[in-house]
Parts: sequence; structure tokens; C-alpha cells
Amino acid sequence: MTKFWIISDVAETSYELLGKARELLGDQEGIITVYLIGNETTGQEAIGYGADLVKLMELPPDTTWEQYAPVLVQEAQASQPEMILVGATRRGKDLAAQLAALLDSPCVTECKSIEYDDGKVILKRIIYGGLAEKIIECCQFPVIATVASRTFEKWTAKDASREGTIEKLDLPAGVNVQVVERRSKPQEVVNIKDASIVVGVGRGFSEQDELKMAEELAKVLGGEVACSRPIAEDLHWLPEDRYIGISGQIIKPNVYIAAGISGQVQHVYGIRDAKTIIAIDKNENAPIFQVADYYIVGDLKEVLPALTEAVKEVKAANKG
Amino acid sequence: MKKVVACYKWVIDEADIRVEEKDHSLNFERAKYKISEYDRNAIEAGALLNEEKGCEFLAVTCGPNVEASLKDVLSRGPASISYVNEEWLADVDSSVTSKILAGIIKKIGNVDLVICGEGSSDDYSQQVGPRLAALLGYASVTFVNKLDITEEGIKVERKLEDGVEVLEVKGPAVVTVLPDINKPRIPSLKQILAAKKKPTEKISLKEIGFDINASQPKLKTLSISGTVMERKNMQINTDGLSIKDAALKLVKQLNADGSLA
Ligand SMILES: Cc1cc2nc3c(=O)[nH]c(=O)nc-3n(C[C@H](O)[C@H](O)[C@H](O)COP(=O)(O)OP(=O)(O)OC[C@H]3O[C@@H](n4cnc5c(N)ncnc54)[C@H](O)[C@@H]3O)c2cc1C
Ligand SMILES: Nc1ncnc2c1ncn2[C@@H]1O[C@H](COP(=O)(O)O)[C@@H](O)[C@H]1O
Repeated sequence: MTKFWIISDVAETSYELLGKARELLGDQEGIITVYLIGNETTGQEAIGYGADLVKLMELPPDTTWEQYAPVLVQEAQASQPEMILVGATRRGKDLAAQLAALLDSPCVTECKSIEYDDGKVILKRIIYGGLAEKIIECCQFPVIATVASRTFEKWTAKDASREGTIEKLDLPAGVNVQVVERRSKPQEVVNIKDASIVVGVGRGFSEQDELKMAEELAKVLGGEVACSRPIAEDLHWLPEDRYIGISGQIIKPNVYIAAGISGQVQHVYGIRDAKTIIAIDKNENAPIFQVADYYIVGDLKEVLPALTEAVKEVKAANKG
Repeated sequence: MKKVVACYKWVIDEADIRVEEKDHSLNFERAKYKISEYDRNAIEAGALLNEEKGCEFLAVTCGPNVEASLKDVLSRGPASISYVNEEWLADVDSSVTSKILAGIIKKIGNVDLVICGEGSSDDYSQQVGPRLAALLGYASVTFVNKLDITEEGIKVERKLEDGVEVLEVKGPAVVTVLPDINKPRIPSLKQILAAKKKPTEKISLKEIGFDINASQPKLKTLSISGTVMERKNMQINTDGLSIKDAALKLVKQLNADGSLA
């Protein structure tokens, strides 16, 4: 009997992975076990989405979630799953890699697709910062794969009355990693993924105060301000939920306006599906121009205010 | 004295790779190698622990052609580098890499802290750090942006999707560091000259008991294909058009495209 495992610290992602696991299983007889952080209600929800067995985990108050790794190794040795899909959060990626090392298994990070082909598993992932896609074959089991949220769809045959078993999974005692404190991050109110116009700011801005020019433009356009990774992580000028790219947000706006962003592959990966890309950079050889539809070579301090004025003018003309 | 090891990967600079439009193959003709971007932060973290806390600091790497990296890395702080240089490491997966690195680290012996980057610039698998921890029996702490070492162990802050975890780890650990943990130094002339006198140690697979037949890659690359984007690539401010006029021309164009609605 084919056994699939799903492990996730975010319940919602486990439902999506269940959808994929159900699809891969097809009409084969199989058992899907889900390991997730949650309670009876979340467990029941997972069963509705296709789980047969749910093992509830907790976010341990005094140690890290990844400390479940040795417990999961024991479980895997006993039940011999064929495939282990792990939600690709930061915790999930850490746990998956430890599990892979301890089981001496292959592990593929942030898969974009997973299919069976003649008994082999074929997986796709992105490499070189977003420049290329790699197709990988794996025929050694268990295959471990991590998958980001919203990569796969939930099971369409969801049935709230499906039956399954819910158990609790205990943590090992005596761990050497101690949580001193957990500080939760204030949740951002805007979701830049939903904005139809996004103005992206990069290191071409020399002071935080200059961001006002981008905010003004975003405001007259009814859009949102986003940024490159260093603006969020090194300079802390904008919250980290606002940086775009392979390790940040992937956006699909109608218009993306990059200002003072050089256009490295890692950033560009996050804007591939923008309908129109506009770039402003003072360096005429900036790589961002190669991926732009329209561009202006110039100083953003001059171009951004000019654009804001132009938008006001054109919008006023549209009304009148 | 605590012993700290940084792991760095010597990678092709992805900014030099060109995608051929006709068949989406990758053209590496102009590609140069570099220290994987975030491994500069890992090396810097080790250098700071040496300078500020008196830790012994070494670096390790494995791959094809890694000898070209040694001088550059030595000028960034480590007292020496232990490495495995093998052609066949060009297309191996994280399971092989982590086994070799674990072998080198065991050979060095008594290592208290291993520092890796958050992910490598080419693969970005984010696996080698936690895999190493598992193989060495060390604690794994990933995505760290604050790091301090004490007599008992280490104290770190790690950044996760939902917030920050402040942790204390007793005993040896592998940490992976985020780019905001520090600002990698630009080596001074003195550091560059001093690097020339530092020792390096080339290690054979035999010395670390690595059996090629028993540890083949578990993943096989079937194909790699570059992504190309079809874009208009139209410069607006040509023919001496002023910024003001260019801005207006661009916005009118967007308006005509129906993008302003
Ligand atoms: C594994 C990995 C993952 C990464 N993930 C991401 C990611 O998800 N997102 C991301 O953004 N980056 C990511 N990066 C970093 C990425 O490689 C680049 O370093 C980063 O995108 C550069 O940011 P930038 O364009 O803002 O800065 P820079 O590259 O410094 O570009 C600044 C630009 O501003 C221009 N400029 C300067 N002054 C002016 C002016 N007055 N007017 C107009 N233009 C001006 C310059 O000509 C230059 O082109 C990642 C890197 C690695 C290694
Ligand atoms: N070949 C290698 N040699 C030394 N360190 C490596 C190697 N590959 C990966 N690493 C380390 O592991 C980290 C994560 O790599 P990866 O799992 O490939 O994303 C890197 O940032 C390095 O610190």
C-alpha cells in the first residue's frame, strides 16, 4: 500500500499538499498521514481534505518545532512512507532537510511540480536565482519535497464527513535548544499581491526620506509601494512582507514600476508575470531595462515627481 | 577557546549567465566564479567571533575548482581553509555535499559552531546547513540574524515568517545566517597580503572515509532551461526628450494601454 506523508507547521498549506497527494495517489490504494500544528478541529478539517490519519503537533513553548525531527525519523522507519511533502516555511525547510539527512533520503526544495513517470518521481524547481528551471528525476524512496503555500490546489472532493483518525504526537524530552522568547511580527494590513499597480523601490534611493516620492506616485496611481530585498532586510526601510523576488513575494500586477532597482535575477523572478513593467534607473546599462516594457534613463529624484504630476494631469483629463 | 567553522560554496556568478533565446539553453561562456553571496555573511560572522570573542576561526569548502577561491576567502578572516577539490562534485546534490562537509568538519575535530549561509546562490536549496547538523549530531538553527557565543553554547535570534525566535543552544550547533546579520568586509591590502601566508589543507575523499559508490547523488538532473521574458524594451526619453515630457509620454502610453484604470 502506498503511503504518503504531509508535514506542515501551517495547517492551510497541509490542505493544499493533501490535494496534491490525493491527485498523485489517484485510484491506488493508499494512506495519507498528515502531521500538522493544530487541534481536533484542524485535524478534522484535514481529514475532510483527504487525510486518513492526522498526528497533531504543537509549536512547543520552550523549544523549536524542528525538534520533532527525531520522532518523525522513528515514525518513518516504522511506516516507510513513499513520499513526504513538507510545507516550505522556514521551519518546514529546516525540518525537511534534517529528516532527509537522518533518513539518508533525497530532498527537493520548493518544488513547482511533482509528477510520477513510470515509477519515478519528476520534480521541477527554480535555480540560479530565478534564471532557470531544473527538471529533476528521483527514484529513491522516500522522496522528500518541500512546497511553498499556494503552489497546489486543495482537494476538490472535500467531504467534511470523511472519517479518519486523529492522534497526538509527543516531542522528545531533554532537548538542547531553549526558546528564550518569541516575538510575533505585526501583521501587515496590505497585501502587495493584491495590488494592481506596484511601485518598487531599490537601493537607488539614497535616504529613507526619498521613499516619499515613490509613495506619492503609488498614491496617485492607487497602488502600493514594494521593494528589493536589501531595502527591507539591510536598511529596514520597509517591512519584509514588501520585498519582491525569489525569496520574497511573487506579484502579478497590471503595472510594476521599478525605481532604482538594478534588476538582478532574484528580484526579477518576483515580477515575471506583471503585465507591464516600467523601469527607472540612472544607469543606462542597468539589467532592469532588459526586462522592462517601457523605461526612462534618469535620476529617480527627477523622474518620480514628474511621473506623479503626469498621472495627475492625465487622470484629470480622463475625467473632464 | 571555541572553534568556529564557516562553510562557503564557490559558485558561478548567476549575473554572468546568458539565456539563449533560440533554445533557452544557458550560456556560461562569460561566467566567472564568486563566493556564494550569503556565504560572505557566514565568513564575516566567523571573522567577527574571532576578532571580538577570540574564537579560533577556519573555513571549509568542497567542489570543482575551489582552489581559485582560497586567497579571496583567506583575506576575509579565517586562519586556514580545509577543502575537497573534485571534478565530479560539479553536479551533486545536497546529500553528497553535506556528507563531504561533515567529513571535513569531523576531521578538523572539536568544532563548536558551524556557520553556513541561508542558501547558496546557485541551488538555493537551503539544505546543507540542517543536513550537516543532523549528520554531525549538532543542533540546527536556521535563518539567524543575531549570533553570540558564550561558554555554554550560543545565543541567537532567528527570523521566521511569523516573527522572531530568541534561542539558547547548549552544546555544538550549525547555524545558517541571513544577509542582514552583518555587512561583509572589503578586505584591506594588509588582509590580502596576510592571506598569502595562511595555510590551506587539501583533503582527499579517502581521508574522510567518503565512499563514492555508497554515496552517489540521489537526484538526477534531466534538464535545465532558462526563462526568457518577452518585453517591449522601449526607452521613452530618447532624442533629447526632457524627463518631464518623457514622464507625460509614458503615462499617456499607459493610459492608452488601459493600464491606469
Ligand atoms: C539567494 C539570493 C536570494 C535573493 N533574493 C532576493 C529577492 O527575493 N529579492 C530581491 O530584490 N533581491 C534578492 N537578492 C538580492 C539580489 O541579488 C540583489 O542584490 C538585489 O535585488 C539588489 O537590490 P537593488 O536593485 O535595490 O540594489 P542595486 O543592485 O544596488 O541597484 C541599485 C540601482 O539603483 C540605480 N540608481 C542609483 N542611484 C540612482 C538614482 N538617483 N536614480 C535612479 N537610479 C539610481 C543604480 O544604477 C542601480 O541600478 C537575493 C540574492 C541572493 C544571493
Ligand atoms: N559545496 C559547498 N561547500 C561548502 N559549503 C557549502 C557548499 N554547498 C553549500 N554550502 C553551505 O550550505 C549553505 C546552503 O547551501 P544550499 O543548501 O545549497 O542552499 C551555503 O550557504 C553554504 O554555507
